[in-house]
Amino acid sequence: MAGAVTTLTTDRPARPGLRWPYSPAPLGRIAVLRVVVYLFVPVDVLLTTAWVAGHAAVPGELYVPLRIGRLLPLPTPGPWVEVLQVVLVLAALVAALAAVRDRHPRLTGWLVAVLYLEWMVVAMSYGKVDHDRFAFLVALFVLPSVGRASLRSRDRTEAAGWALSMIALAVVATYTLAAVAKIRFGGWGWVDGATLTRAVVRRNTPLSEPLLEVPVVLRGAAYALMLLELFVAPLLLVAWRDPRVTWGLAGLFLGFHLMTFSMVTIIFLPHCVALLAFLPLEKLAVARWAGRRRKAAGGARGALNANTGHPAGERHAC
Amino acid sequence: MLTATGRRVRSAVTVTIVVLTLLGTFVGDDDDFPFGPFKMYAGRDDPNGLVPDTRVEAVDSSGRLRVVDESSTGLRRAEIEGQAERFRAQPELLAALATAHARLRPDEPRFVEIRVVESLFRLQDSRPTGEQREQVLARWQAP
Repeated sequence: MAGAVTTLTTDRPARPGLRWPYSPAPLGRIAVLRVVVYLFVPVDVLLTTAWVAGHAAVPGELYVPLRIGRLLPLPTPGPWVEVLQVVLVLAALVAALAAVRDRHPRLTGWLVAVLYLEWMVVAMSYGKVDHDRFAFLVALFVLPSVGRASLRSRDRTEAAGWALSMIALAVVATYTLAAVAKIRFGGWGWVDGATLTRAVVRRNTPLSEPLLEVPVVLRGAAYALMLLELFVAPLLLVAWRDPRVTWGLAGLFLGFHLMTFSMVTIIFLPHCVALLAFLPLEKLAVARWAGRRRKAAGGARGALNANTGHPAGERHAC
Repeated sequence: MLTATGRRVRSAVTVTIVVLTLLGTFVGDDDDFPFGPFKMYAGRDDPNGLVPDTRVEAVDSSGRLRVVDESSTGLRRAEIEGQAERFRAQPELLAALATAHARLRPDEPRFVEIRVVESLFRLQDSRPTGEQREQVLARWQAP
């Protein structure tokens, strides 16, 4: 399934077109993304969604199982959720190490994916469902499918292309289908409503509170948000001839999430991690590797492991 | 190159995820997580309406009135709001919050009364008027 290596092709398409699900993509990017994603899981589980562990103490009568919890024999959350938290963190650290060493990516990756999904089911089964981590979940499930991917790899494979395309689709869907949901639930008049005012009234910061006095700004922001989600986000799916366009778009959306955080203290952090899939992360690893190789060639003989030929400092490659 | 099987499996997964996600968006609901609609802030608030803000208050066994944060009961504000109708219909469910608090904060005095209180802020042309009122949505007292 890993897909044989295809010939090296340039990063720059001859002409702009849609990214195709099976267009070969760099294995190095998969490797770097795995390390970032798996290292982010402990951050998320111990910091940004640490509140999920609080559900362990909540009696079962307040558990409102989602459809997935009713279809699958998932247990009612209880003290075992704290065990899940520890096991998930350990599994993610093992997966990150496995990604660095390019060992057992499927076993370690899918284990993290399943455990994290269960963490999320526990999170969302008490009356509030967030949609901020769809792309991250997709990333967790598709990254292992690529099979082995070395941080030093300069090859491009169809398997890597498919995984990155799925993450890209999920990122764009999170924006574009959020706009569709606004039209479905809020109606065409959503943009002229007071939804952003409500958000600021409930979660204001020193930066956003003054905006309550100038409703035209928040109304303008509602229009801008709708346009951004509906029409700008799909541009991420275009393989631009000039890679700076993709950088600009990814930067725009990362900036949007930072701005949202500064205004209403909501940040789509896992989604931001998934957004990195659009960037040429492979250059990070290759550049570091090339630097090390030059250094090694310059006399540091001991830098290479006698058994594997791998650099002793490989784990720091990213 | 992917094998024919590898490509078939991936194509099937792609179609499944796309179809489930679109179904979730157009006809689904939160219950369909992770394929439910992306509906955070998708509702429309009336520019001349009321903005609700919910909190949990508790009286502990020492008689002190406390505003309860999420780390004291294990439930976030949005989760309290999501189950507000249940609390309103069955206030005795709030006893579960007292139990959760006793588990999470064993050193603190027990809650003997819990109230879910909703503040309502009046808007006029999308601007807060300063008018605010409160209502108790649900109340439980230890027997």
